Order: sequence, then C-alpha cells, then structure tokens
Amino acid sequence: MTNLSLLGTASYLPERVVTNDFFGESDNVMFRGSRERRHAHPDESAAEMIFKATNKLCERLNISKLTDVGIILCNVTLLDMPFMGVGASVAKLLGAKPELILDVHNAGCISFIYMMRIAKPLLETTRTKTALICNVQNTAGPIFGHHDNIKRPQSAIPGDGCGVGLFALSDISPVESIVTYAYGEYADDMKLISDEGAHWHAPRKLSLHLNFDERKIIKIIFRGNKLVPSVIREACQEANVRPSDADILITNQPNPFFLRNWREALEISECRQVHTFDEHGNTFGAAIPISLERAHDRGMLKKESKILLGGFSHAGDYAAAAVLTWHKGQQA
Amino acid sequence: MTFAHDDINQISNVRRIENFALGAMNSLCMELTHAVYAHDDVYGPYCTLEEYINCPPGVVFEYLADGRSLAEWTYSLRDFANTEDPEVLVSTDRIGGDTKIYVKTVVNASAKTVDYHCAWDQMQKLWMIYLMRIVPAELVLDKPGSVVLWTNCHHPYYDHNPFPEEAPKSRKVWVGDLWPFFYAGHHVEMQNLKAILEHRAGS
Repeated sequence: MTNLSLLGTASYLPERVVTNDFFGESDNVMFRGSRERRHAHPDESAAEMIFKATNKLCERLNISKLTDVGIILCNVTLLDMPFMGVGASVAKLLGAKPELILDVHNAGCISFIYMMRIAKPLLETTRTKTALICNVQNTAGPIFGHHDNIKRPQSAIPGDGCGVGLFALSDISPVESIVTYAYGEYADDMKLISDEGAHWHAPRKLSLHLNFDERKIIKIIFRGNKLVPSVIREACQEANVRPSDADILITNQPNPFFLRNWREALEISECRQVHTFDEHGNTFGAAIPISLERAHDRGMLKKESKILLGGFSHAGDYAAAAVLTWHKGQQA
Repeated sequence: MTFAHDDINQISNVRRIENFALGAMNSLCMELTHAVYAHDDVYGPYCTLEEYINCPPGVVFEYLADGRSLAEWTYSLRDFANTEDPEVLVSTDRIGGDTKIYVKTVVNASAKTVDYHCAWDQMQKLWMIYLMRIVPAELVLDKPGSVVLWTNCHHPYYDHNPFPEEAPKSRKVWVGDLWPFFYAGHHVEMQNLKAILEHRAGS
C-alpha cells in the first residue's frame, strides 16, 4: 500500500450570501463577477471554518470524529494570527494530537495539490495513517468586501469558503500522479498593497488589497492559459490517461474565461467540468476540495472515474496538477 | 531564372517526394495536425487575419490606401495630421492615452497591397508594420467582393521599447504588452472595416 488515496472531501461556506449589486457595476471583463459569493465575517476564524468542514467530512465518511488524524496540513489566505498559523488551533478544536502539523503559506490556488504532494512522503515516513488537508479562503469578506475596496474591479471575484480532504496510504482511490512547478520569475507580479504605501505590516488607515502588475495583466492571462493545460497534460501522461478521456476536470477558478479556455484546450466537454464559480466566486485554494465535494454530491464520482485536478496560483508562480482514480477496482 | 545545380534534396529540412516518401509525409502531417492549438503557437510570432468584405476590391484598396481612413476603422487611432515628412502622418493612439503614432502608408496598386509602417512616440524608425493585401473574391471565392489579408510580425521592439525617453511620462502601457490581444483587437477592427465598407457599398 504505497498509494496516496483520497478518502473524501467536504466544505464549509460562511452563511452570508453577497450578490453582485453589493459591488456596483464593473465594466472590466477581466474581473467579471459570478452571480453571488459568500463573505466570511471578520470574527469568524479560519480554524473554526476548518473545524466545521471537518465535522461535515466525518458525517460523510461515517466516522464519529477525527481525533486520530496523524498529519494536518493547512493553507489559509488570511491567517487568524500571522505568527502562529492555524494548524494547532484546528487540532485543538478537533481534540486531535497529530504527529505533524504544517501551515503551508505558499502555492495559493493550487495549494491543495501541493499539500497532497507533501502529504505522501510524510505519511510514508511517519507512524500516522491519515492526513487532513485544509484550505481556507477568507479574504473575500474581510479584505475585498471592506468599504475601501468594494468598488475595485477585482473585488467581486473572490468568495470565501473552506474545503478539506482526508487522505491515507491505501489503494482505494489512488492519486496516480502529481506534477508541481514553481516559476520564480513570476513571483512578484501580484502584491498585497495599500494606497498609503509602506509595508503591509505598517500601521495604516486604509485596507490592504491584492494587486496585479498593470503592465503584465495580459501576459498573466496568457501564462494561465498556457500553464494549466500543459501541467495537466503532463500529469495525465504520467498517469497514462488521455486528458480528453477524463471523467472530471477540476481546476482553480479565477474567472469564466480561464475555465472555458482550459476545458477547450484539454478537449473536455463542459458537462465534465466541475466548478462552483457561479455561486461561490473564486474560492482560491479551497475551490478544488469544494468542487470535489460538488462532484460527489452530483453523483459524478463513479467507480474508476478519472479525476483531473490542476491550476496555477497568483500570477503564475506555481502550477500543479494531479490525476486520481475514484474507487479503483471497487464498487462505487 | 536558372536553377543552381546543387542537390536540394540534400539540404536539411527540405522534404520533397524524392527524398521523403508519401507514407512518411502522411505520418508527419498527422503529427503536425492537432485538434486544438495553443494561442501562442498560432499568434505568437505572427498575427494574421483574413475577412471577406462585400465591396469591390478597387474600392477597398482606395479606402485603405488613404492612411487617414485609419481614423475610421481602427479602434483607437484619431486626429490625423501632417508631419514635416510629406509621407508620414501623425495621429493619437488613444489606447496609450496621449500617445502619438506615426504612419507611413506604402501601397502597390497592381498587387493591391497596403502596408502601414507605424511607430509609437517617434518617426525615425517606423517598425510596427501592418501588411494588408486585397484579393478579388471573384478569384478565390467565386463571388463578388474582396478578401482582405492582414499580417503583423512580432518585431523585437514589441518586447522592449527602444525609445523609452520618447514616451509620455505618465504612460504605463507599452504597445507590445498588448501583443497577446492583437488577434482579438485586429479582429474587432477588421469587423469595423467590413461593416463600414459594406454599409457604404449598400450591400
């Protein structure tokens, strides 16, 4: 049993639904908004969001609680506390004593795949059997929904949400391949800035906001168009799967154009692409586990279904893809 | 014209039926034929568009041959004026705010080619060249009207502005940053050209 297998995923979405009229009209097609998205309350902690999603996952997997989880990996866009990360708080809420906790701060929108890659060798070298991978996107309400930022064209795009996935070393639903890339040359094209200038941590009156290098915005679009199909094709080749034969495609979800372009480039029909952009916006790293849960709820995860995961983060500094087979050699 | 006597079949990358069997050719064509092409593969080094316009080739040629028509059918070139060089016009490319764009129109009436030699900010080196050719649709599509072909080549200056000191101080964009959108932008302008000429031709 050397395969990393996905046992299940679950989501938690904050209660507050925000519709497009909240932001006013934007004529920038780059940031064309979804119908609605959820906004986390600034007092809602990322650890609580993970706890709620994990409880739902336990229900789905028919286990009472996850106190025996061995490894917790977390990627959170807006940390509850910048020094400490959230992993330990998650363990506290779960009543768990994991062997390892890692707060993974990089790889943004594809950090779920990154954490899968990290989890496999950790599980192989530790006593533990299961790894809980957690993604929280919680900047939509507190940062993009802040009154200083509401009118910015990019503010309608993000939505808040949490997705968690439980993995184990087994052959149930194996991860057939994982490919990851880092492109340092694209590292500084997206920044957290404030109109006041100065460092992000400096005392300030105005909220911070995410900003792309204006001159590079078209280049960033074309980076995304190119990086994602290419990394997914590579993962497919390694798994000996033709992209067009895949049953389910799930990517990160920056806007409808990327979703269309990636699907077309991989020759995957729209009905096999799963995303939650329309109702949840861009949930960054949480989009992949949330969409995996969506695929499950729609009954799309069938015996031997080939699932393609892929995407890029920020302005292209990371790209990753993975191929999974759901319930390999078993009855679904 | 006389041919040299060297054996062209020996030149690398020359594939002719004498040195490259039909089966191998078919196999190569299969390999070169994809279902989907990446945007960069198609429009990276060159950007070519083509369109049918229901308007006589002579009329299309006369319209394009007058550089001032660019103020009508382009998306953002406006306010044309003369320069000290009688062959070069100056106008504003509003994509770049107050950016000046210089245009020299070079035509060949018998070939029906119209080439716009342009540049942002300066007229010493007109390096942005829009190559256009009007083909009688009668010949290629067996119907009246014109086919317009339009090609841009990815000149290295699109990647690096060699005259940054000539740019308006507040301008953030460079024309080359827009290269990935050239196909889309030129498509819109080609549709403008078609709509204007067909409207005036009453077709």
